[in-house]
Amino acid sequence: MPSNKLHRAKVLLHRPAGRGYYRLVLLAPGLAAAAAPGHFVMLRVSANLDPLLARPFGISSVIAKRSIELYYRVAGRGTTLLTAVEPGRTLDLLGPLGNGFPVPDRAATPLLVAGGSGFPPLLYFSSRYGKQARLFVGSRDKECLPPAAVMKDLRSRTKAVHYATEDGSRGACGFVTDTLAAYLARPAAGESPVIYACGPNAMLASVSRLAAEHSIPCYVSLEERMACGLGVCMGCSVSMKSGGYKRVCKEGPVFDSREIDWGGKTILQVGR
Amino acid sequence: MPSKKKTKPDLSVDFAGIRLKNPVLTASGTFGYGEEFADIIDLNRLGGVIVKGISLKPITGNPPPRIWETPSGMLNAIGLENPGVDVFLRDKLPFLRNYDIAVLVNIFGYCLEDYVGVAERLDGVPGVSGLEVNISCPNVKAGGIVFGTDLKAAFELLSAVRKATRLPVIAKLSPNVTDITAFARTARDAGCDGLSLINTLLGMAIDIRSRRPRLANCTGGLSGPAIRPVAVRMVWQAAKAVDLPLIGMGGIMTHEDALEFILAGASAVAVGTANFVNPRATLDIIGGMEAFLVQEGIGSVRELVGKVCVA
Repeated sequence: MPSNKLHRAKVLLHRPAGRGYYRLVLLAPGLAAAAAPGHFVMLRVSANLDPLLARPFGISSVIAKRSIELYYRVAGRGTTLLTAVEPGRTLDLLGPLGNGFPVPDRAATPLLVAGGSGFPPLLYFSSRYGKQARLFVGSRDKECLPPAAVMKDLRSRTKAVHYATEDGSRGACGFVTDTLAAYLARPAAGESPVIYACGPNAMLASVSRLAAEHSIPCYVSLEERMACGLGVCMGCSVSMKSGGYKRVCKEGPVFDSREIDWGGKTILQVGR
Repeated sequence: MPSKKKTKPDLSVDFAGIRLKNPVLTASGTFGYGEEFADIIDLNRLGGVIVKGISLKPITGNPPPRIWETPSGMLNAIGLENPGVDVFLRDKLPFLRNYDIAVLVNIFGYCLEDYVGVAERLDGVPGVSGLEVNISCPNVKAGGIVFGTDLKAAFELLSAVRKATRLPVIAKLSPNVTDITAFARTARDAGCDGLSLINTLLGMAIDIRSRRPRLANCTGGLSGPAIRPVAVRMVWQAAKAVDLPLIGMGGIMTHEDALEFILAGASAVAVGTANFVNPRATLDIIGGMEAFLVQEGIGSVRELVGKVCVA
């Protein structure tokens, strides 16, 4: 029985992309053909037993229908080891995984809200549905924004970019949710906004609250630690308002923001 | 002996009356109810599946964070989330009936009556080959003492489950005890047909900056290659203590690991955390085991059970 999710992918390109990020391009035609914005992959960063588990990465682009592109920032032992992987090597890859973003209505204005290192799925989204979209991007300071090449793509694919940095070094001074709130208070004429967001949970909780205040549909892509990515370990579950849990890897990573029990999530964020 | 190399080695095993086409099973909680893996591997090639633990009523599980990676292993505190025995019978088991594999149903509860209830519901159900009883749960009716770490509680529980079903009963032993052989004998005395060991080792990890435990549940079960030597040791001790067939598990990643358990005394093995790391792990292990037997000129995997050479 041929597998449609397990792939041995050749590393075509792997290099620093600026601002602390790496860009990794993997040849995986089967995976690339099945991928859609919002999907992710599980990647084993080494064949050793430590670290043991594969890491989830959001797909940021499909190139020439045969390869996928990932961006990552060195955040721990796994990503540190990954930086040493040289082009030409093969890596075990599982994907595409997850549900992906719902396709926006033709008349809608997607508001892409990217915080921290949450831009990859939105970068992919912008390649398909960017024309009508506005991007709201935020970070601590301008050096923590997505890499320059990514920002260039995002600028050219979307109709407007709204910057926010906490120190005011680029765009408005404050959080990305402040610029989003300012826009939602006075949206451009004729635009019917739908939010697509990816970033830290605290940001997503705020975005979700804004969406509810303005009665705007809002889809959030969540990040959680996960062991399998397949829906069997139940390790990545998040609390739902309706009670119980859903798996980020299977029912997500994209959720209607109204479903999520943000109370539970923001409490967990405190003290991180 | 070139003639031997031509014949395919025999991987089949009779485990407590359950026929397994090979000794490789999937450990409970690492393979769901098989569906998620069905489009990645051919389930028909497995010896069998031990399904994720089933309780009498649905259980929502623990709040997140539920997992934390540790050196060559992981901690989990999922909280035995499961849809309950009724939904299992209606929605999950029919899928597994499509395959020609043994299906062991892992059962658990938080009081003796719950265990008995699940065991009764599964008795005589087509497609169920046997029960694996997770005894590492607290008995809420007895001050939260864990069944599997108290000889008297373990005996009462396993005896009650034994009486509630005609299926083979396999006790899954907790490694969080001083003397595993005492629990192996207790399970035998309670009428169990086989043993599974080991369950996860209780562990904990702390975030030194927030000073909070990494898991919302504070403690969790440690699994993965980190625990393998402990598991091999316990299988070896239990095999010497009782004359019951054993399913060995604990950090098996490769066929070499699996063969260690078999030499220590296990008739079958279960692959757990490896399923998360490599969804093909079970099939790789079966293939590797077969190649090893060919290489060594061994006709049947059964010849290796308990054959560790101790001077």
